[in-house]
This record gives sequence, C-alpha cells and structure tokens, in this order.
Amino acid sequence: MEELFVHRPAEATASGNGPLHGMKVALQPNCSVAGWPADAGSDALADFKALEDATIAGRLRQAGAVLCGTTRMSEFGFGLHGSRAGEAVRQGAADAELVLDLMGESRLAALRASVFGFKPSYGRLSRLGIIGLIPSMECAGLVTADLEVIAKILDAVAGADEMDFSMPAEPAADPEDGPIDPSRLTIGVIAEALQGLDDDAQAGFRQTLAAIRETGATLLDLSFPEFSLFPLAHQVVGAVEASSCAGRYDSVRYGRRAPGAKNWNEMYLRSRGAAFGPLVKSYLFQGAYFQFERYGAFEAACRIRSRLVARMDRLAAQVDVLALPAVDLAGSGNAASLGDTYARFGATLFANVTGQPALVLPPCPGTGGAGLQLTAARGGDGRLLALGRHLFNGRGGKA
Amino acid sequence: MQFSQRVYCGQLTPEDVGRQVLLAGWVDAYRDHGGLLFVHLRDRSGIVQIVFNPATTAEDVCRQAAGLRAEYCVAVRGEVCPRLAGTENPHIETGTIEVMVAELTVLAESEPTPFAVSEKAMIAGAATAGSDPVAEDLRLQFRYLDLRRPSMRDHLVRRHRIFQCVREFLDAQGFVEVETPMLTMSTPEGARDYLVPSRVHAGSFYALPQSPQLFKQLLMVGGLERYFQLARCFRDEDLRPNRQPEFTQLDLEASFIDEEFIYALIEELTARMFAVGGIALARPFARMTWTEAMETTGSDRPDLRFGLRFVDVTDLFVNTNYSIFKQILQRGGCIKGINIQGQSEKLSKNVLQNEYAKEIAPSFGAKGMTWMRVEGGRFESNIVQYFSPAELDGLRQRFGVADGDVLIMVADPSYSVVVSALGQLRLHLAHRLGLVPADRFCPVWITEFPLFEPTEDGGVTSSHHPFTAPDRTDFDPANIEDLLSLRSRSYDLVVNGEELGGGSIRISDRDVQRKIFAALGLGEEETREKFGFFLRAFDFGAPPHGGLALGMDRTVSMILQTPSIREVIAFPKNRSAACPLTGAPSVVAREQLAELGLLDLGGRDLLPGDAQKDDPIDRLSWVSRIGFAADERPMLEAVRAQAETLADLAAERAGTEDPIFTVAPVANRLRPGTEARPSPLAENGRLLQSAPAVKGDYFKVATILE
Repeated sequence: MEELFVHRPAEATASGNGPLHGMKVALQPNCSVAGWPADAGSDALADFKALEDATIAGRLRQAGAVLCGTTRMSEFGFGLHGSRAGEAVRQGAADAELVLDLMGESRLAALRASVFGFKPSYGRLSRLGIIGLIPSMECAGLVTADLEVIAKILDAVAGADEMDFSMPAEPAADPEDGPIDPSRLTIGVIAEALQGLDDDAQAGFRQTLAAIRETGATLLDLSFPEFSLFPLAHQVVGAVEASSCAGRYDSVRYGRRAPGAKNWNEMYLRSRGAAFGPLVKSYLFQGAYFQFERYGAFEAACRIRSRLVARMDRLAAQVDVLALPAVDLAGSGNAASLGDTYARFGATLFANVTGQPALVLPPCPGTGGAGLQLTAARGGDGRLLALGRHLFNGRGGKA
Repeated sequence: MQFSQRVYCGQLTPEDVGRQVLLAGWVDAYRDHGGLLFVHLRDRSGIVQIVFNPATTAEDVCRQAAGLRAEYCVAVRGEVCPRLAGTENPHIETGTIEVMVAELTVLAESEPTPFAVSEKAMIAGAATAGSDPVAEDLRLQFRYLDLRRPSMRDHLVRRHRIFQCVREFLDAQGFVEVETPMLTMSTPEGARDYLVPSRVHAGSFYALPQSPQLFKQLLMVGGLERYFQLARCFRDEDLRPNRQPEFTQLDLEASFIDEEFIYALIEELTARMFAVGGIALARPFARMTWTEAMETTGSDRPDLRFGLRFVDVTDLFVNTNYSIFKQILQRGGCIKGINIQGQSEKLSKNVLQNEYAKEIAPSFGAKGMTWMRVEGGRFESNIVQYFSPAELDGLRQRFGVADGDVLIMVADPSYSVVVSALGQLRLHLAHRLGLVPADRFCPVWITEFPLFEPTEDGGVTSSHHPFTAPDRTDFDPANIEDLLSLRSRSYDLVVNGEELGGGSIRISDRDVQRKIFAALGLGEEETREKFGFFLRAFDFGAPPHGGLALGMDRTVSMILQTPSIREVIAFPKNRSAACPLTGAPSVVAREQLAELGLLDLGGRDLLPGDAQKDDPIDRLSWVSRIGFAADERPMLEAVRAQAETLADLAAERAGTEDPIFTVAPVANRLRPGTEARPSPLAENGRLLQSAPAVKGDYFKVATILE
C-alpha cells in the first residue's frame, strides 16, 4: 500500500493565529504551497515545486490552520482512481482535507470515509494556485468529520481575490443563519434523480427521506425531465475545457522532456504522449474530437447546460433545500476507464454543471450506502450548511 | 515651343540680367500681390522667381497666370532682371534676380498634391509649407512627387556622383565591371532566398542572389583578375528599420593580392566617396583586431568617435571580500569597467542607482552594475564600504581617476555578458551625455575574426562563410579547441559603429577547403550536393584571391547623413517590405500560378501533420499533440466512438437556448492599483526551476522545424 501522504512538511506551522488555530488541514498536491511538490498527480508536472501559495492555502495558514501535507490524488484530480482522498480525515490524521471537486470527488470521498463532504458554490473560492482541469466546473471541496469545521474554513478562505481573474464580482453570500422553523421547512425531491440507483440504494434513500419528514419538514416532489442530460453536458464541456487546459503541459516550462525529438512537434507528441495517463488521455482525445471535429456539439452542450442551470434555479427557488441521493455508483468494470468514471459520479456531477453548493451527509446505517446530498441555489452556501446541520441533528446526529 | 533654347532655372546668375530666356519646370509656390503675381519656378537645377506684372505682361497672360497652382508644369519666356533692393531671397541661389514673364504655356495642370512639395520659402525669414513632416508611407505612395523635392533630388544626384566616383576609380585601377546573373542558385549566405518559379522546369525555382559571392570567385578562376559590380542583392530577412529586401552592394574581387592591397584600395575609394559629401577621412584607417574590439568596446563594430573604452579590473579583486565579486570570480567570471571622465554632475547617485543599475543595465543583460562617483578624492557609492583600501587604490590607478569622474563596472560569470552589457552601456551613456561628436567620421578595419563559432551540439559553424581563408592551415579538423582558436583572414570596414562592408581572402587550395568542410561536419556527398559546381572549378588551377563587398545604400546614407537608407533609394520598400507606390507584393491570378505549376505544390511534399490526416485517431493525436502507444489505440478508438455518440446526442437535444460557457460570468477587469511589471519569479530565475531543459535565462526547446 502506498503512503497516504505524498508530502509532509518537516515542520508544519501556521503563519497566523486566527479562528482556525491548531486545525490540521490536508491538501492535495494540486494546491500550491510555496516550495511543496505540486505535480497534481500527473507526470505532466513531474517534480514541479510550487513557486507561491495558492490564495486559499495562504488564507488557511493566516487563519491559523496547520497545513499538514498533501495526499495521494488521481491525475489532475479527475475521478478517484488512485486517490486516497477522505482517508486522512477518517484516520484522524487531519481535521479537514481540501479535495478538488470536478465531478463530485470531494463528496464521494467523504461518502467513502463516512464523513461530511461539501462543494461550495462556483465562484466562492479563489482558484488562484489550484492546478485544475475543468475551469468552469471545478471548485475546492471540503472533507471533514465536523460540520462546524466546514463553516469555519469557508469563513476563513472564501471571498474575493483580486489576483484570480476568473472570480465573478458578486455580492456577499447569503446570511448564514436565521431561525429554522421545522414545520415551515420545504424540501424538494427530484424524482428523476433516483433513476439509476439500485433497489437497495433507492430504498435507503426513501428511508432517509422518511426520517426527514419526521423532523416536521414538508417534502415536495419535483420534476426535472432532463436530469439525465447532466452527464452529457458535463462530459462534452469538461472534455473540451480539459483539452484546452492541458495545452500548457508542453515539457518546456515543467514536466519531463521525452528524449530524441527532432523538432518542436515531435517534442510535444512524445512528451505529452508519455505524460498523461490513460484516463486523462482518453478525456483529452475526446476534447480534441469535440473541438476540432464536432465543435457544434460543444456549443450544443453549452446550450443544454444553459437549460439545465435555468431549470435547477427554478426548482431551487421553490423550496428551502433540494435533497438528492449521494451514491458512489462504482460499477464492476475498469475503474480507470472514462465511461466508468462518468458512471460512478452520476449522482454528483449536476452540481459541477450548475455551480451549486452541495453538501453530502454521511449515510445512516441501513440505508444501502445512499447518503443524503443537499443542494440549493448557487450562492446559498451558508443557509445550506445551516439546514444541513439542522437535518443532521434531527436524525440524532447519527452517521 | 523650342525646348532646344531652354535654360535651367537654377543656373541663372546676375550676369544673365537683360537676357531673354525660355524656362520650363513646375510651380513650386506662388504669391499674389493684388494682380502682381510671383511664382517660384522649379526645375532639376533649382528655383528662380518669375513675375507676372500687369504693367509689363500682356493682360491675357496675366489672366492665365492667375489660374496657376502648385505643381503645374509650365514653360515661360521672359527677361532676366535684378530684384529691387530689399526683396532678395536668401533661401534660393537665384535670390538676387527674377524673370519678368512675357509668355506663358501651361504644359500640364496638376491636381492638388497630397502633401506639399515646396521646400523653399518665397521671402526671407518665412517658413515653407513643405517643412511639416509627411508620413513616410504617403511619401512612398507618391514617390514621384516626393522626388520633385530639392532635397530628395539632391540625394539621388549625389548618389549618382558617388557611384560614378566608384566606377571611375576602379576602372583606373584596372577593374572590370561584370554583370552576374539575377536568376541563379541558392548561395550559402545564410539568409532566406527570394525564389522565382521556373515555368519551363515546373516545380523548380531560381533564387535571386543574396550576393554574387560564388560568381565573383568563379570570375577569378576565369582569369578576370580584377572584377567589380554595383550589384543588386536580395535577402528575405526579418524586418528591421534600416534594412531593405533588395539592396545595392559594391562587389569586388581581385587575384594575386593580399589584405594590404584591399586596405589600400578601399581606403582610397572610401575617402573619395566621402569627399563627394564634403567629408575628409583621415588615412590610414585605424585597425583593430576582433579581440581588441570586444575587449575594449564590447562590439565587433565599435563606434570610435568617443572614448569610454573598457578597462579590465578582474585581477584587482582576486582576493576580495565583497561577496558578489567573490562569487563571480569563483565561477570564472570577469569584471570590466569604464571611466566616464568629468561627468559626475550629470550622473547623480539617483541616476546611477535607480536608472542605470536597476533598469538600464539589466535590460542589457547584466545582472547588475557597480558604480562609483569620485568626489574630493574619495569614491562615493552604495557599496564602497565593501572594498578594501588596496582595491580602491587599484581602481584609482587602473582608471586614472580624477574628481568628477564616474566609474561603472559590470561583473558576471560570463565574459560575453560582461562585454555585451558594458558595450551597450557605453553607447547609451555616450548618447545621453552628448559625447558623440556630430561631424566626426572614424573608419576602422576590424580584423582577425574567429573563423568558427561553437554550435550547441558541440560542433562548429563558419562565422562568415566556408570559403574564408584561415590564418593558418596546420589545424586539425577534428580538434574543436584548435578550430575555435583559428582566426580568419577577413576584414570588416566599420565607420561610426556601422558596418559598411567586409570581405576576406578566400581559400584557393583544395586541400584546405576539404579540411574546412570536414571541420564543419560536411561529408563528401553533402559538399558536392551543396557546392559541387563551385568546388569543381577549384580543380583547375584557381589563383589566390580575395575581395570585399560594401553596402552602398548604407554608405551613401552615411555620407549624406540621412536618417534612413530609404532617403537615398529612389523607390524603396517600406518597413514592412512592401512598396506603397506599386502595391507589391501582390496576389496573382490562379491561371498564372497554374502556368508556373505552383497550384499543387503543397501536395508533393508532406507538410507536418499531413500524414496524420487519414486516420481518425492519428488526426486527434496530431491536433492535440499527444502521442500514444500502439496498445493504447483500442482504448482511444473506443473513447472516440463514445464521443461521437455524445456529440450526436448533444446535437439532437441542443434546443435553442443561448449557450453559456460559465455559470458566473466575469467582467474583464484590471487588478486595481497595479501596473504591468515583470514577475519577480521571472527576474530571480525561479520560473525556470521546474523546466526540464534550460539554457542561460531561457527555456530550451527543440527546433521549431527540422
């Protein structure tokens, strides 16, 4: 078994003495910490050492957190193949772990470790210094055994970063609290989100819903006929963005140079051919296909994405929170294949397409491994966390 | 109109007063004094004022004259008269006389011109319309109007005089002018060729000559002994401000001569050419070896109009405690400096530290620059306290310092960085401090260039061309050290920091030539392919010979002191190698391409990527520049098939919504309160730390094309 951590600093110290004082936070090697190895799990960045702190790493340290190391990750954080995300928290080696969420990685890692996983709204966290793959969908997610920790970290690291051009200039997020009246709480359930779950998981999720109803909340059945298009939109858009994003791995500024190339083109072909693993390479080839041979399909996927976002916004506006199943749909096939990777994240990737916040609560015993995933309109992170705490406490705080 | 009687405007003098003359030319400018009309009439020789006076000129002539406008082409008849005292015009040579017109013929009218042609004011002390600067492209588009200006005409006439002087002198020295072909083979000059497609041999190309190098040497083998040509040459080089894609060079070659012959000949010739511009060149010209030039000025074309020579002070600091110098010397570096005498008033602490040390020296490639001002017998500097009294004494003596002097020094592990940066600082300071005398001309021969330069892969390449004779012939072509120590028998003529020309004694011995090719790593077959026809000639008793080429556009421009070489060329290309007058270069008809067999050229040789066009996986691999192993092909075929399915599905379900590319649109914005600046990570070199291959301060990459 390979080590859980790929890098542990000799002396882990915080630079500040703030609200996160003493909290141990694990990162992935795609989050820049000056001087730390940051290969993002890829040979395309072999031996790369970060030059500067990522904005969120710097803010964590300033708030008093101790960055305790980086954990083994999948190539560019895409999928969970080869990743040990979630384990540091489960083993108590860290109080929280930052896991890049491209299609649900932080949430499924949390589910696997039976802890909490949270993907903030797109645009809440600076992405400066985070080595990613799908710029319009990815976001640093949080894995932790304590819901309060999520809120505290979010407080410390979220917010405008003038160095990150991709951050939208949006008004401050929602007020977190305000009293929660259980009898007036409406929770939406999207029927189509249960399709594709096996019988055990369906039954488990219904059991979870029944427990919610007992807290006095009203369940509202909602319809989202095109819910099944989320994987399509994600894969087409994601592959194209990944293909563009990976253009920078040229074996010139970083990475390894494959020997013997006679010219520039050969240098690219050989070095890049050797750098990417099968899963990422498959994805990049699909991206090239959409970009260079079926550009219309990319645009079509962006139209579909537009419709999916609008529909999700309408549904979220009708209720306090939406409840969806959180399930690791890992098939029995080759976990490293592109098809299986997408199949596995079928329950989580909607939030990456829409940029919504999504919180996964650990499954109750006897629910067939189906956790509860709560989501709200983009920007409603604080309220979502508060409602998550309410519902989790309502079921007696049981994991 | 009897033009045979015509006299030139500019040649009229007070001695012609009373004479009836016929003049013809252009209306340069006119002034109407209430019926009394004064016109500046201009022809090639100059300008004379002609007067239409209602008191003496017929009424119908005066009426016709009232319609005259600038640049009308006219002929007049009239009498030469002295001007009234007080109305003389010092701006024109005929300013003391004028011609009272009796007859006027308008030969051709002119539309209003796009810019004023006139350069001469009509009355003493006045400005002319033509004194405003005109956009150069407009001047080039209407070059025929531009050439009417006396200054441009004067440039061309004097260019002609200089060329005549060259021809007469060389003819007297027994040189024969021979024309060499324009349609020829590519020659080894190193720049890109202009190619001319052959219709008869479809798919084959002539090259326009970059220089007549091979032909002039063949003329020597052919026994001409002394040849010259004012040759048009063509180089498709990257655009630079003072360069033309076609240019004229004085090309010259002689047999049974040595370097001294060339020096004597060219010095005499150059002195005569400069004399046309009224410039006397001191002879003999200075001579400097390449090594000396680099050591003392940091340039192989040194500007010797001012001092500011380098002084080496490396040895003064072998035991220094100043850590920066210490580290540099430990890494085999050197330290050189310049004493800028008596300039400490203009070079304040602030200027030296904040401008030169922080900004200017780094922009010239130096990591830093050390400076010291000498005031009251003491050195003043931000680092003087790090130097020992012995070191300061050493500097004082080495530079011979006096109060008011400023020392600057550059230290670096790399010799070339030191001389290059200090050389650029030398020029920068000279111009800033006004140390460059305007009317001084300092010709110098630069000699003993290295014959070879090292290449990246450990070999050597010719500094000039492979036919240049080495200073000795006993070298070992396999010994790189030995090869790099060779000097060439070449010489450059440099005036005021500009290379006017250069040449060399050539190799005439077959065996030496073979050794040179061997040193360059060229095999028998490759040599034959590249230079076969040329080398064959040397199998038949080639005489010892050598020669030189002088850039005539550059030389004339320097003699006439024009701001660019375009001012001394009748129809030059502009800065982007285009001709605004004719519109060249231009697209041509498909039929013309077809006739030349150029339409399907691309299909014959595979361009990069062509081979990948057929197979869908190869194609994706190519466009994304990601290679794959044979055993990855089935996987990639499967993902491509899946992508096709997804694309079909996406197309089917697209709908009509506007596409979105992000869920949280970002307005373009600037980081508040920041200005563009180099990243500190680039400046301290840390950006390079993760690169797989680095050379100096750059990322190292494979060559762009084979």
